[in-house]
Amino acid sequence: MNKISLAVSIFSVLLTFNAYAENEVKTTPIEKEINIKEEPKSVDDTDKIEDKGQVFDNIDDRTLQLNKNTTDASTLTISSPFAQSSFVPDISLILDSSYAYRNITNNAFDGLITPSFRGKAGFPTNGFNLNYAELSLASTIDTYFDLMAVLPFSTSGVAIEEAFINSRSLPFNFQLKAGKFRSSFGRLNSQHEHSWDFTDAPLVYSAFFGGEQLNEKGVQINWLAPTDTYLLLGVEGLQGENEASFGTKGFEVGKNKFEEVNKPNLLVAFAKTSVDIENLTILGGLTFAGGGKRISESNDDKTKITDFDGSSKIYAGDLTFKYFFDSYRYLSLQSEYMYRSLNGINYSTKDNLSSDSEQSGLYSQLIWRFDQLWRTGVRFDMLNKNDIYENTVNINSPNNLMRYSAMLEYNPTEFSRIRLQYNHDRSKYADTNLQPVNEIFLQLNMAIGSHAAHAF
Amino acid sequence: MIKKILATFVFLLIAVPAFADVNVITAYPYIKDIAERIGKDKIKVTSLASGNWDPHFIIPKPSLIAKARKADLLIINGGQLEIGWLPQIIRQSNNPNIQSGNKGLLDLSNYVKMMEVPTSVSRSQGDVHPNGNPHFVLDPYNVPKLSKAISEKLSIMDSANSNFYKNNNIAFTKEWMLKLKGWSNKMKPFSGTKVFEYHRLYDYFLARFHLVYDGALEPLPGIPPTAKHLEDLINIAKKDNVKFILQDVYHPKEASKFISEKTGVKVIVMPQDVNAVVEAKDIFSLFDNLVNKITG
Repeated sequence: MNKISLAVSIFSVLLTFNAYAENEVKTTPIEKEINIKEEPKSVDDTDKIEDKGQVFDNIDDRTLQLNKNTTDASTLTISSPFAQSSFVPDISLILDSSYAYRNITNNAFDGLITPSFRGKAGFPTNGFNLNYAELSLASTIDTYFDLMAVLPFSTSGVAIEEAFINSRSLPFNFQLKAGKFRSSFGRLNSQHEHSWDFTDAPLVYSAFFGGEQLNEKGVQINWLAPTDTYLLLGVEGLQGENEASFGTKGFEVGKNKFEEVNKPNLLVAFAKTSVDIENLTILGGLTFAGGGKRISESNDDKTKITDFDGSSKIYAGDLTFKYFFDSYRYLSLQSEYMYRSLNGINYSTKDNLSSDSEQSGLYSQLIWRFDQLWRTGVRFDMLNKNDIYENTVNINSPNNLMRYSAMLEYNPTEFSRIRLQYNHDRSKYADTNLQPVNEIFLQLNMAIGSHAAHAF
Repeated sequence: MIKKILATFVFLLIAVPAFADVNVITAYPYIKDIAERIGKDKIKVTSLASGNWDPHFIIPKPSLIAKARKADLLIINGGQLEIGWLPQIIRQSNNPNIQSGNKGLLDLSNYVKMMEVPTSVSRSQGDVHPNGNPHFVLDPYNVPKLSKAISEKLSIMDSANSNFYKNNNIAFTKEWMLKLKGWSNKMKPFSGTKVFEYHRLYDYFLARFHLVYDGALEPLPGIPPTAKHLEDLINIAKKDNVKFILQDVYHPKEASKFISEKTGVKVIVMPQDVNAVVEAKDIFSLFDNLVNKITG
């Protein structure tokens, strides 16, 4: 009964509005359209203000068209009725190459570990590197969806970094994303490498997610809240195959046998908001990522975590302040903090240890674009917490692992970039000894073709 | 209780649109001003960009996404002027109305004839616009074409007020053509005057009033001035008796001052949009200011 009366009341209110709207229509006649007599004499002859509209003269005389075209026999053969070239998607290729110098050999560097962190990023080797040639394709599919694919080519093959669709017509400010995509986790995660401010990812990203950030198959649904302030909320259901923090593979150790985890194995939830104060824009975000963690590397003794089964939770916060002096110059302070707890059991042939870890890291970077063509910046990286408890005993893994970076960039145009970067890295260990690493990169990043504009 | 709250929520969702005026978002302030003159109190207009920033490189702040979210109609300049910042805003707005191909997007460049359409395009030519020079609003004869397009669009979207929009447009056009006569008269003595521009922002204005473009401070569109190029310009300025350097408000002014010091050519800071300078409060005063800057 309640429902019916409510429906009736809504309906009647709507009717009232309708009537109100109709009353508003005052059918004043349109004044006679004015003719602009004074004819402009330059620019071109289409400047007559009067729009004549589409006029089809002699629309019934279909012979006119033929008369015009058949006078020259060759025009009869010119036809490409099935050409689809105007539907070619936006195609771009981004080439990234670099020269790297490091104070230790490639082999020695490859052998270094970040204690108790499983993630490890690929790295440019000493000398010249072709980091990637990234082909990207983007287009509207139809009125309902867009498609975007990012296919980095390297000397070892092609990868599908991203290939996803997003909806363009969902009601109530919802948007759906599906395919393989960079998660909207944090601030940097969804950005492509070529729009980063440094050559390499922050330590905490490599330590938690390895070389490709959190990039998974799955779906995302996001909602832009109906507020005047920007507020975006979203959830993602992902496979959770990233082994640095999650992982789904089964394993067998002694009597213990684990099947592959049911997928999707990872849930990500995020909120982002932003406010402007004059020329200062503040953007902040909170993210939670939680899923099962199961990894197997029985033959690898380098890390303490082997044949692990349990769960992983990551809490992350990001905050960016960007102050714009004018259209070309800005100062930006961007920071992210991530905390991860891993709880489960380490299985080995000898014994099974309960393993609980609390790890966290952060980075903070200051970028100054001081000229249309020049940028410079510094970055501070730290893995500040590294508490691993095996059978409730802290194994005293080293914490406060740091890295300091500085960069200088010259951007001849928005399509080309030359960057010089220096890293002083105190986060890597050779077995149990800290091995400080100094790195210099000279990077070229160049884009051709039609590449979509970047987000903030 | 929860049911009641839910019911109220649903009620608000349904009922609110019945109150609302047409919510119009424009890319630039000049479009906002024209739209307001056509729609008056029947529409609510917000401009995404402000007038004193480089229109090619508006910063895609998240706050713009929030503005675009609720638009019934998005009116853009078009001609790829917004290519560097607006597509992401539209995509992230989660607003079906304004996606390309839908009825809530109006591209003004469709209603004017563009100048300087390149016959071939390569990025070696700098930031060229394949569809031609997109700064067409600075030809005052184009303004009534734009207002007409806006009035037609509003008439379709809000057909109940169709005559209101059409009459406002006629009144605006009449007023505009009157002002136009005044500007033409004032500009007549300057026919044939040679000028430099920092960027080719004012070509439509120059062509309309028969001023002659004799060089740009940018060696190529989007590339800042180089020493060598400025030397060339100094020679041209002396040889051709160049009168003015038309400097926009958002590029650095050192290069203009440098040429001016070497040659005595006067630098004038010209607005390119409403609110680019304080005097350019609306579309009328924008042209008043442009004309006054030239005529002194």
